[in-house]
Amino acid sequence: MVTVLLVILGFFAGLLGALTGIGGGVLLTPILALHFGIPIRQAIGASLVAVITTSAASSSVHLQRHTTDIRLGMTLELATAFGAAVTAYLVGYFNRSALEGLFAAFLLYSAITILTKRGKVKPLEDESAMIVDETVIPPYEPKRYPLGLAASLVAGALSGLLGIGGGPIKVPVMYLFMNVPLMVATATSNFMIGVTAAASAIVYYRRGDILAEYAAPLAVGVFLGSLLGARLAPRINTKVVVYLLVGVMFYLAGRLIVHLFQGSL
Amino acid sequence: MSEVREPKFDSIVAWVLRIGAFGCFFIMLTGLITGLFVRGHISVDIELAGVLLMLATPVVRVIVACFLFFQEKDWKYGWISLGVLVILMLGSVFGIGEH
Repeated sequence: MVTVLLVILGFFAGLLGALTGIGGGVLLTPILALHFGIPIRQAIGASLVAVITTSAASSSVHLQRHTTDIRLGMTLELATAFGAAVTAYLVGYFNRSALEGLFAAFLLYSAITILTKRGKVKPLEDESAMIVDETVIPPYEPKRYPLGLAASLVAGALSGLLGIGGGPIKVPVMYLFMNVPLMVATATSNFMIGVTAAASAIVYYRRGDILAEYAAPLAVGVFLGSLLGARLAPRINTKVVVYLLVGVMFYLAGRLIVHLFQGSL
Repeated sequence: MSEVREPKFDSIVAWVLRIGAFGCFFIMLTGLITGLFVRGHISVDIELAGVLLMLATPVVRVIVACFLFFQEKDWKYGWISLGVLVILMLGSVFGIGEH
């Protein structure tokens, strides 16, 4: 039964995402397209709904800890929402092969980035890694807004194209270039993801690319998986999990490339 | 500006997101469980209601923040929030009828 399999898929993607702090969204679309035979635009649509659900749940936790900079988030959302809505609209004119090629490229890029940059910058700590009751945030003033807005535009554009949150772009830019403390950058990125994904999802929905029978079981699974992941994260050796994630990324990229060449024969 | 933390502002926005996430989760779950026992289209309708409310949650979050900013007479961020809202609304106008 497809529904049950979708819940299970969402569960493991959410679990991996919460354990590694690297959103599981990037895994969902290729698996839906390759193994469930769901048309890729509908797969992206379902993934977007799951991304909004997790962002809302985890962002409410960050907000209660007062680590989110709502003003900064709102400002950058002007760019992410705009980028997301534009590419979500353009996706209507892309064919399947172009999207699959983009996905394969993005998966390879993410996997290689994780492997090479691990340890250097750790922008992707999830909330479980920073459960501190009294969080002390040093005073700061965000700098270089033009750069932040430009990077947010790119993050939003990728979100609309691929159905992902775009945290791996926003967090390092806020942290490294905008003078925002890491904890605030992570929370603010998470906060922005909901609006960014909603900007795309509204366009996908109006086009008929969000089907509740795929999106709902996936979102339910991701929600449960990320709840469990956030609880387990402090007790698990996440290094192993990160390698598992990288392995899955390489596998999916390979399958997409094979699929692309088979399709063109 | 950023070092000013308003606990109440954060809490109100947090509650909007929490109600949205947990509410939609339970509505979608209800749809899935209904699908196991009841034949027909009713389960998909419930799931769709959950999905649509989920899409609406970030929009409501922007509306609430916009309202709070204007209430605080923080005009700059009030207008920024309104700008985000306009972009979200434009998406629903331009998404129609494309394939």
